[in-house]
Amino acid sequence: MAEMWITMGPQHPMTHGLWTLRVKVDGETVVDTVPELGYIHRGVEKICEARDFTQITPYCDRLCYASAMTWAQSYIYAAEDLLGAEVPERAEYIRLIAVEMQRVASHLMWLGAYCPDVGNLTVFVWCLRDRELFLDLLQELGGSRMHYNFPRVGGVKRDLPIGFAMRARAKIEMFRKRLQEYEMLLDESTIFLVRTQGVGACKAEEMINAGVTGPNIRAAGVNYDIRWAHPYSVYDQIDGLAAVEKVSSNEGSDCYDRYRVRMTEMIESCNMIISALDSIPGGAETHYNKKDEMIYLKPPIRAPAGQNGFHHFEDSRGESTFYLAGGGGKKGRGEFPYRMSIRSPMFITIPYVSKAMIGYKVADIPAIMGSFDPCIGETDR
Amino acid sequence: MQSISSEQNLSAVGMAVEDTNKRFGEAGISAEVCQHRSGRKYSFVHINCPPNHWVSLAKWLRFEQGVDYLSMITGIHFPLEFEFFSGQPGYAPGTPEKGWEVIIHLTRKGIKNPKLGEQTVINASKLVGMDVPLEYQVSLVLPQTDEPKVPSVQSIWEGADWNEKETWDLVGIEFEGHDNMMRVLNPHDSPPGFHPLQKQYKIRYHNHNEMYDDAQGFMRKPLDSDKKK
Repeated sequence: MAEMWITMGPQHPMTHGLWTLRVKVDGETVVDTVPELGYIHRGVEKICEARDFTQITPYCDRLCYASAMTWAQSYIYAAEDLLGAEVPERAEYIRLIAVEMQRVASHLMWLGAYCPDVGNLTVFVWCLRDRELFLDLLQELGGSRMHYNFPRVGGVKRDLPIGFAMRARAKIEMFRKRLQEYEMLLDESTIFLVRTQGVGACKAEEMINAGVTGPNIRAAGVNYDIRWAHPYSVYDQIDGLAAVEKVSSNEGSDCYDRYRVRMTEMIESCNMIISALDSIPGGAETHYNKKDEMIYLKPPIRAPAGQNGFHHFEDSRGESTFYLAGGGGKKGRGEFPYRMSIRSPMFITIPYVSKAMIGYKVADIPAIMGSFDPCIGETDR
Repeated sequence: MQSISSEQNLSAVGMAVEDTNKRFGEAGISAEVCQHRSGRKYSFVHINCPPNHWVSLAKWLRFEQGVDYLSMITGIHFPLEFEFFSGQPGYAPGTPEKGWEVIIHLTRKGIKNPKLGEQTVINASKLVGMDVPLEYQVSLVLPQTDEPKVPSVQSIWEGADWNEKETWDLVGIEFEGHDNMMRVLNPHDSPPGFHPLQKQYKIRYHNHNEMYDDAQGFMRKPLDSDKKK
């Protein structure tokens, strides 16, 4: 049969953002694909060469609108590595709580966006409803609903508000029950299973060679997680496991595995939040003032030439890495970074997925693409 | 969550550095133990490599040291003259020997395909030797030149493909042997030679008053507009 090219995007429900997938089809079968990115390239890396280390945080928030807290913290850890900043332990606990809440909110956004792709419209509304629970909690910390500007080099902006722990526990208890409702709705829905099972097979070794990480690699049956492999923060002091899924076909993990691993990860993140609230130094119901040494230590503000820092961070979509080189600024004294480089997990994953969907049908493209959780804000930077 | 301890990390880093120096010491490749400066202060392997030996080092890391994952490729431009603001005294970030630097971040993850219906649950505290996850930072330094070139490792790590595309697109470092090089973040019809992260391209720097007076920037002029060229 004659082959032809179809352009999906930039405005297409499959894209979950602004990019184009050019698909070569033979009848109903995908033969070749070419992704085209860069529609919302803002030049964050260049802009940040003229911003000091505190001013960069809000730019990193805006890298991903669904997962702002993890991106800001990913930057903060690299900046602390560059500057050699010490962080109080209570601040590390608060950061951990914030990040895990953001991870749950991000996975809920993913589930809400993915289910309409595969024919279930109800879950979208349910997920956004439950995401509000966590956005409200994050709003208490950062002061805004989406872009928090919460972590600081050397600590956090403010302490947990009074009553935050109580509200977090109550909401998480309710959310655990809600998750069971989702599972009843999805795991027993024939439409959902037919669209996801046996579709989009990917093997662990191929994925890691192509640079795919995070929940997508854990869905392929390996519990690799940067939180234990290159430990940062205080993850070793709290309960919680890296979510991992059993491989369900000879070709590797399918879309259903990637859905399951994110559901498990949400439960594990909730466990981590509860565990961190239990064991936070100073107690979860104590409130320290801004810039108290329990939550903030003043860092050095200059990084001379020759110093550099990088940090691998477990983002909600995979491994995000920041590299910062010191010695920038107006006279080279290091008040700005000389070069900031961002590794976005989705920038590497999208080309891989585009090739992984070859051989499947056109109707499977949204199911496969959506299951990897694309986010274009971070991809194009 | 059980995690890698600092003893495991130190012994793995020491072993990797020793192996690299033993294998490639005569070729001018030097590896050293470096330490993160904050948080848990874990160590990683830093390798200084002459660009012409990069492919052989990469092959050895990938196939004999188990470094299965390429995280990021960063290009940095170090010109001899750099003015932050046009017309104001500048400084020299680079030297004649160091005009460009390519930094590659690699990770050893040790991921194997699990069998059908099974899962690999790695117990972090039981990992020893080559199984311990490890961070590598490889630095390739290039002299002052208008055409910086390093060999491509696209065929060794598939994940290097788009990283190299991005580095060429934004920084202008060419990767010799890279198949299908193209613009990825800049517009596809950008003029040849336009690589915005090179230091001769300046950022328009404005203060907040200017932003309030002229939020859209229609009245803004370049800083050197009053100068005769």
